[in-house]
This record gives sequence, C-alpha cells and structure tokens, in this order.
Amino acid sequence: MMRNTTGQGLVKKTVIWLLAIVTVLYGVSGFGITEFRTVETLTFGLLTKNLAFKIHNSLEIPFIILLLLHICLPFIFKWKGRKDVRK
Amino acid sequence: MKETTTHAVIFGIIISSLCLALGGCTVDRETDKTGELEPVEVREYQGENLSSVDDFRENSIKGPQNVDIETYQLEIAGLVENPGSYIYDEVIENYKHYKKVVTLDCVEGWSVTLLWEGILVRDLLEAAGPLPDAKVIIFHAYDGYTTSLPLDYIMERDILMAYKMNEITIPPERGFPFQLVAESKWGYKWIKWITKIELSDDVNYRGFWESREYSNTADLEKEFFE
Repeated sequence: MMRNTTGQGLVKKTVIWLLAIVTVLYGVSGFGITEFRTVETLTFGLLTKNLAFKIHNSLEIPFIILLLLHICLPFIFKWKGRKDVRK
Repeated sequence: MKETTTHAVIFGIIISSLCLALGGCTVDRETDKTGELEPVEVREYQGENLSSVDDFRENSIKGPQNVDIETYQLEIAGLVENPGSYIYDEVIENYKHYKKVVTLDCVEGWSVTLLWEGILVRDLLEAAGPLPDAKVIIFHAYDGYTTSLPLDYIMERDILMAYKMNEITIPPERGFPFQLVAESKWGYKWIKWITKIELSDDVNYRGFWESREYSNTADLEKEFFE
C-alpha cells in the first residue's frame, strides 16, 4: 500500500514537472512566432521564427495529454485506492 | 389708387428678387465653405462585413517602414523589354483601378478580410513587356524583404498591387505605398512597401521566408512548411 502511494506520487510529480516544462516551452515558442524579432534578439538568434513554429506545433498534443493527465490522475488514483481497500 | 397698387406690386417684385438673389448668394457661400475631410475606412462592402485596418498583427522583418513618397520610385527590372522607374502618381494615374474583397491568411493563425483597391500587376507587366525567358517575378520591399511568384500566376489571375484598403490609403505600417494582394497564397507572399518588381528566369529563387523553409508555392490549401 505504501509503495503504491509513493509510486503514484512519483507519477503525479513527473506529470506536474513535464507539464510545467511543456507549458513554458509552449508559451515561449508562441512568443517566438508572434514576437519573433524580440525573441530572436533575446535568444541571440537561437530561437528563430520557424524553429518556434516547429516547437509550438509539436508541443500541442503533448500539452493536451499532460494537462488531461494532470486533471484526471488524482481521480484515477482515488478510485483505484478505494477499489484496493475493498479487496 | 391704381398707380399706388402698381407701385406696391413693383416694389414687392423687387424685394422678392433681392431676397432670392441674397438667398442664392448665401447658398453659394455655404458651398464654398464645404471642405474635404480625411476619408474614413469602410467596414462593410456590398453586404459583406470587413475587418479593420487595425486588425493586422505587425510581423514584418524590420518593423514598420516610412517610405518618403517624394523620393519613392517603383522599379520594373530584369527580363523586360522596357525597364523603368515610376513615381507614385504615375503608377496611380496611368493604370486602371480595380476593387476587390480578399482575405489575407497569415501563417500565425489570424486572418483579415478587406476591400483592396489597386492596379493589376498584369497591366504593369504588359506595359513593361516580359521577355520570353521570364518565368518568375521577384518582388523587393523597402526593408529588404523579398518574395517571388510565378509569372503565370500573375498573368492568369487578377492580382492587385493595392494602394488602398477599406477605401483609405494604405497606412505606412501596413505597406504604403503598395502592397501585393496575393490571393489564395499565405500572407508572407503579400509583400508590403514594394519598391522593385524584377522578372527573372530563376525558378529556384527563394525569398526571405522561403529560404527559411517556408513553402515557395505558399498555396493556402497546403502546409506552409516544406
């Protein structure tokens, strides 16, 4: 039971951190598209408009999946926990 | 008695005439006072709602450009029989004007539908006389931006080089004096601040964004990344 809780905590933490990273990258790459002159200057030409486009487009689905996991995992774990107690 | 009545009638006619004359003068003076105000953009055309000139997002490569119309010249160069340069008024006055409602779709995800007024690029080119080798038109802008389109695309369609949007002269930040209305193409083909139109045989020429992996055809129904 204890191991299970720790495992669930690790999963939750991983999802939270991944979601945080993806959200920041999603936002920065969004700015890299609309404010490309500023972002290119600030990143010393590293984040160009087309790279920003590629990052932004490739992060769309991971962002949705991680967000859904972040919302649903507590309910799933709660439901699973109740099922284990019944057993 | 009769004489007095006649005098009264004549007096009445003179007074009425004076009143009418003075009234006429007043109207004339009012007409002289009528001045012409700055045009205001239209937001509806033939029952169709239009976007505003302010609905664009500024995404040019070097920010808004202020072209000095006193020194401005539109150059037609490359593979043409009659290369030359034209001042703004020559372009406006020497060619027929057309109006069209066209939507600009930007790769960033926004779009604007505006009433564009301008001259046909085809008319300009026909006057210059493209040589048989010419295949591509390279447009150059005041800020160094370039883009290209196939000559057939320009000659077979009514592609405008606009000087007005929504019935007002294109503002400096939107591309004054001329912006290309490259309908059915992604926004990066709608070059602003046009200074030079060059005809070329280089079918592999790639403009500013096209040399950065954007599609050279830029067809709206296709992805803009190659």
